[in-house]
Amino acid sequence: MTMELEYNRELYGVEHPAGPFEITGELIQTFNRSIGETNPVFTDGAAARAAGYADVLAPPTFCTLLVRNVELPDIDLKFGRTRFHAGQRVQARAPIVAGDRLTASSHLKEVYPKTGRSGTMVFEVWETTFRNQDGAVVADVQESYAARE
Amino acid sequence: MTPGNRPYFEDIELGSEIGPRELVATDENVATFCRLWGNPMPNRFTDPAIAEKSGLPGPIVPGVMSMAIMSQALTDWAGPESLKDLDLVFRQPVPHNQPLLISATVTDTRQDDGENLVECDVLMTGTAGERYVGGTALIALPSKGG
Repeated sequence: MTMELEYNRELYGVEHPAGPFEITGELIQTFNRSIGETNPVFTDGAAARAAGYADVLAPPTFCTLLVRNVELPDIDLKFGRTRFHAGQRVQARAPIVAGDRLTASSHLKEVYPKTGRSGTMVFEVWETTFRNQDGAVVADVQESYAARE
Repeated sequence: MTPGNRPYFEDIELGSEIGPRELVATDENVATFCRLWGNPMPNRFTDPAIAEKSGLPGPIVPGVMSMAIMSQALTDWAGPESLKDLDLVFRQPVPHNQPLLISATVTDTRQDDGENLVECDVLMTGTAGERYVGGTALIALPSKGG
């Protein structure tokens, strides 16, 4: 049985830009403090430079913090009463260091139903690509939200 | 092991176990994270009454933060630039102030485009076996051959 989902399909192919985001050493240090990160390459500029980076390296999931600042439109899904953050994926493509200036571009990747033990859920997946000041892709982040009856 | 006590690709076999590494997200950790994240407080991540209204047993650790914690356990093991891909499913609410056990099991090893890659199933569990977060990770390791 296929389920006919009702939502705004016109969002496919539309990019939602955000930023720029100035990645300061202070932001990276606060991120470190919140999770108890102590690796010197993430916490100490001198150690990071000795390892070949221009300044402290951001931990690999750092970009997930910034997705919140991308204004994602409502897809107007006609399904479910509750919606929750079901999953997240980060693909790290290149190092992010303090002093970088990132921009983001997000698009609707897919919407699909899945039926399991607890009934049917509909997943809505957004993909955000982050680039640095040189135009290099530094990370791709996928956010998955589930709507449940 | 490498000079930094990091594993070499050749040290890893199918089925190798990594961890468990125990980490805790305290109330203060979560508040620091929410301020940085820009999530207005109080919220269901920091306030017991708001969490209960959302049907949660208590304030929870945000998924974005659970991911950061799991990433930390993996980069502690394999090195700061080793983690190439982390794909997670948030299965159950993650509590504050409780031991969170992060472990991984190697499911594939391969050499691809000059990189030595290790694929793992990763888990964040509680001490009573609660399966909070699950998923997969792709980690690049150095080779003994350079």
